Amino acid sequence: MAVIVCSPLALGFRYSLHRVFLYDFDNQLFKGFENYKQAFADPLFLKALNTTVIFTIGCVVICVLFGILVAFLLNSKKVVWRPFWVALFLIPFVMTPVVGGIAWRFLMWQQEFGVINAISGLFGAEPRYWLLDRETALFASIVSNSWHLIPLAILVFYAALSTIPDELYEASHIDGAGPFQALWYVVLPLLRPHILFVSIILLTSAFREFDMIWALTGGGPGRSTTVLSIFAYNRGIANQDMGMANTIAFSMFAFMAVIAWIYITVYRKTLEQNQ
Amino acid sequence: MIAPKTRKRFQIGLIHLLLGLWLVISLLPPVMLIAASLNTKALFRSPWDLLLLKDFSLENYSTAFVSGEFWFFFTNSVIISTASVVIVLIICVPMAYGLSKISGRARNVVAFGVLAMRFIPYVVLALPMFLLFVDLGLAGSRLGLLLAHLAIHIPFATWMLVGFFDTVPNELEESGIVDGCSAWNLFWNVTLPVVRSGVIALAILVFIMSWNEYLFALFLAGSNAQPLTVGVTRFLGGIESGAQHGVVAAYSVLVITPVIVFSLIANRFIVSGMTAGAVKG
Repeated sequence: MAVIVCSPLALGFRYSLHRVFLYDFDNQLFKGFENYKQAFADPLFLKALNTTVIFTIGCVVICVLFGILVAFLLNSKKVVWRPFWVALFLIPFVMTPVVGGIAWRFLMWQQEFGVINAISGLFGAEPRYWLLDRETALFASIVSNSWHLIPLAILVFYAALSTIPDELYEASHIDGAGPFQALWYVVLPLLRPHILFVSIILLTSAFREFDMIWALTGGGPGRSTTVLSIFAYNRGIANQDMGMANTIAFSMFAFMAVIAWIYITVYRKTLEQNQ
Repeated sequence: MIAPKTRKRFQIGLIHLLLGLWLVISLLPPVMLIAASLNTKALFRSPWDLLLLKDFSLENYSTAFVSGEFWFFFTNSVIISTASVVIVLIICVPMAYGLSKISGRARNVVAFGVLAMRFIPYVVLALPMFLLFVDLGLAGSRLGLLLAHLAIHIPFATWMLVGFFDTVPNELEESGIVDGCSAWNLFWNVTLPVVRSGVIALAILVFIMSWNEYLFALFLAGSNAQPLTVGVTRFLGGIESGAQHGVVAAYSVLVITPVIVFSLIANRFIVSGMTAGAVKG
């Protein structure tokens, strides 16, 4: 098991220090950290990094927000058919991401016949070229990917909420709090460790996302949705520059390692506080 | 002044209305796919026309089967996903059973492995695997793709199963020992039945994850081992012209049907597995 994961990692790191071209594979040259220097001086790499960060943060924020909201609604008293809602809310998550991307691309965001423009047209908005416009393509990708990830947030928050005793809500109700005050003052503080946990799961997912964006835009228009995963793929397969592709991938790995370290530190702190 | 009872009723109605709205948002893309797959010339219809099936026909499906070489991709997908599930169960169930019996180091190693896997961007593994498999002669084979899937699934599966085995009370096994069960009997007839639903949940999750996988397939599958996720994207090239819009939709529906059916049948298992496995992670 460790072999299947670690040997590609070691090999990838080795490639990242070399000049490796697919069309000239036998002619590899040791370059040290030259590839990394080149990458971080490359405006395209920095743009891809920037796009990835925006994409990731956007997805996490939208998912946590709607996850809490829907879980809160689902957990309210007297909601009928709970298993029915849960079962159907799960579908975006299990639906193949590539197919999800296809559905959003050709049926939702599509400029002439898509659902989004049809609905916004009812309110008198001008139709937009969502995925063909550099201004909106990233936003559209974030929304589509959030649609795919939200069920995870809903389920974890819903499981956490159902462990909160009813008395707590009743107490806040007697104190004269409305549902939104209850959400803000009672539910949110109790959910804090779960929010941290869900955020990190979503963050790791969104940071490495490839399938959904690839099916939606293929990284375009221009480079407006080229996240690091797609950038690495383009460099490695399309440009056949495996050395640089591995450098990009390893930089992603390094960013994630830093985030993992921060997460573990914060997680320990919250555990200590709770004890 | 509104009577409190009316207000309460209004509130409950509003909650259900909002849940219904969320349901529409959740299901709109797959429902639109189904609608588009059942219309000819699907590109040139407004969403409302598609939903009303104004041009109803099953033509798209027959085209997807014939010119989409559906069975070729389908066979690859079924073989890879099923083999993933079987091998994961064979390796992970005994491993997790063993791990749940001990505490300390070995468990921490698995926990760390699971956490580490979450933080590894898959492209970091896929790029060197692509070159490595060319070297090993595994490039473009189902076996190579299967190995990549196992690398992703095994840490996650082991950790989830350890969580399930931990819930089995010690007294149960002790009473088994008193009754003179052999170690195998103890595992097979006493402990395993208790965690059965968990194991089923895990098997379904692994199947869904393998079925949906795209990135590794793109790098490693060559032309012989391509699963359905690659098959469906082959249509994307010519689609802007609108020629095969409905066919892509039909193909997409065929790809997602198994996972959606699985998730509906085993929904209770999956939810408990996701939240238990996840919250523990």
